[in-house]
Amino acid sequence: MRPSSFLIALVRRSGPVAAIGALLFGLPARAADPAETGLVTAYANFDLAAVDGPRSWLDEGGTGKVRFGNSDGDALRLRPHATEAGIVLQPSFGWSLSGLVSVIAQHGQDKPIDISEGFVRWRPLPIGGIRLNVRAGIFWPPVSLEHGGGEWAVNETITPSAINSWIAEEVKVGGVEANLSTMIGAHRLSLTAAGFELNDTAGTLLTFRGWALHDEKATLFAYQPLPLMNTFMRRAQDDETWPMIDLDHRIGWYAKFAWAPPGLFELQYFHYDNRGDPQVMNADRQWGWRTRFDHLGAIVDLDAKTRLTLQAIHGTTIMGFRRGATARRWVDMRYRSAFLLATRRLQIGSREGSVSGRIEAFGTRNRGSVVLSDDDEIGWAATAAAHWPMFRRASLLAEALHVDSRRDARLREGDDPRQHQNILRLSLRLRGVFGD
Amino acid sequence: MFVWSVAALPVSAPAADLEVQVQGQNATAVPGAVVTVHLIGRPTPRPRPAGSYIIDQQDIQFRPFISTIPVGASVMFMNHDPVRHHVYSFAPARKFELKLASRQQNQSVQFEKAGIVPLGCNIHDRMIAYLAVVDTPWAKTADAGGRLVLRGIPAGAATISIWHPYLRAPGNSVTRVVTLADAKVHAESFIIPMRPPPRDPGTAY
Repeated sequence: MRPSSFLIALVRRSGPVAAIGALLFGLPARAADPAETGLVTAYANFDLAAVDGPRSWLDEGGTGKVRFGNSDGDALRLRPHATEAGIVLQPSFGWSLSGLVSVIAQHGQDKPIDISEGFVRWRPLPIGGIRLNVRAGIFWPPVSLEHGGGEWAVNETITPSAINSWIAEEVKVGGVEANLSTMIGAHRLSLTAAGFELNDTAGTLLTFRGWALHDEKATLFAYQPLPLMNTFMRRAQDDETWPMIDLDHRIGWYAKFAWAPPGLFELQYFHYDNRGDPQVMNADRQWGWRTRFDHLGAIVDLDAKTRLTLQAIHGTTIMGFRRGATARRWVDMRYRSAFLLATRRLQIGSREGSVSGRIEAFGTRNRGSVVLSDDDEIGWAATAAAHWPMFRRASLLAEALHVDSRRDARLREGDDPRQHQNILRLSLRLRGVFGD
Repeated sequence: MFVWSVAALPVSAPAADLEVQVQGQNATAVPGAVVTVHLIGRPTPRPRPAGSYIIDQQDIQFRPFISTIPVGASVMFMNHDPVRHHVYSFAPARKFELKLASRQQNQSVQFEKAGIVPLGCNIHDRMIAYLAVVDTPWAKTADAGGRLVLRGIPAGAATISIWHPYLRAPGNSVTRVVTLADAKVHAESFIIPMRPPPRDPGTAY
């Protein structure tokens, strides 16, 4: 692609993303801290992506596993994308009460702009060495060890792991969360618990599409496309899923325990149960899913510059009525995945960049009465990435991602059940923080 | 920036200087270790505050990490950051909170009781610092090489105490009894067991 064609295509595709990008160059900025209050963060991400393999499940309704697809098949094809832009407001109301509202536009998002997160946070002074954090609103449960900051971005790679891609796209809640943390000696202990709604469809994408690796995030009003389901399910379930709806008025819950001894590592355990009623359906053929999972997270600092991040998840989801001789529900699926991410920080001039490598495996197993083993999946992925903060307001990320997976249900689309897919991405991230 | 000195009371008795070296078990220096000397068998005079006592907030950190100040001193908390800080302490020695707007530089706190005062920021969990409020004129924070010199200590028996937040001992402190000879430079070396610092709480929980 010639440079002039690239620029024209980029501007044509950008829309609100380009507008925020232009705004960022025209306004002052300084180093940001995600824990701040009283700030406004504006950001815009632009990508050059070369991808082979099948069409993306996201972009073109295909069976590919990554953010962008390739209608040309196996040949690598280079395309510019305005991937994401957003404005994050972090107002403070006095000294203990603050808030966060994140409004974003994403490539492929069905609404031009939508709400990503919005919550109020109460953080009184510690009492007797115990700190209390309460937040209420719309937010992601604290599962991902890759995302962070007010805009909930992945910083060391472009694409999050399969686990955190799923959390980002389908496990977002509206609820109230309380966290207690304290130091016992030099050991930091933290306990988090939440009650929530607005997450009754969690499990839909994971069942019908399987795992994926991409950086599109669920928003409050957006939907996600589903691949071609089997004949029975095409009648029962809409071909889109809304990640943030409530169908049964049952309150789900999650809890997390974290332990950080002094020194090298910290460990986290997280349990989620949306308590969804698997027999409830609305007029849009959106179903309640009973989705539960256990999650382990660990961070190991080998030295001051080298960090290992490990996450592992195992869960179940059920949906529909009991049927047949086995009296199993239409969907009765188990899923699991794990990854190991290694990041080495590098000093580049006066700024600190990083190089990262990640290896992961994922799988699903169906034993329902309607969704059968042809929707089972097994796969693995490897990622190499580099992060270079070029300027105070601009950083560049480069990433190579390979995904290898098998899923017999791809035959419904006429695709080969076994897929090898590669995506190379170069991402320019512009970010400005203003206020207080 | 942090500038201070504890002025010893004038003493007419024979006196000694004390050089202290503080190291961890792997022979690395322990900067910031607080060394205090109390006399044995005689009252230790109260220190007299002198100089400026300042704790900066810069780049979302307290600076310095560990300070030693005499009882009765006031410390100025200076926020050089472009964001606000909510500084607090719940130590028995001094409970307080300061609401510091961005780049606000004019709030001070007086410390009337001896003891260790951990400092935190309610907005930024990773901001931690320690104030050692001492009731002796012979006290100092070790330099980057883990060294310090205390001058004009009356000759005779005395206890030397070392305190550091990461010292692996009851009260994060170890004590040694020494006898100081008149007009001599007395050198003491401490090798103390250290534990790793607590992990940065990060932004998630």
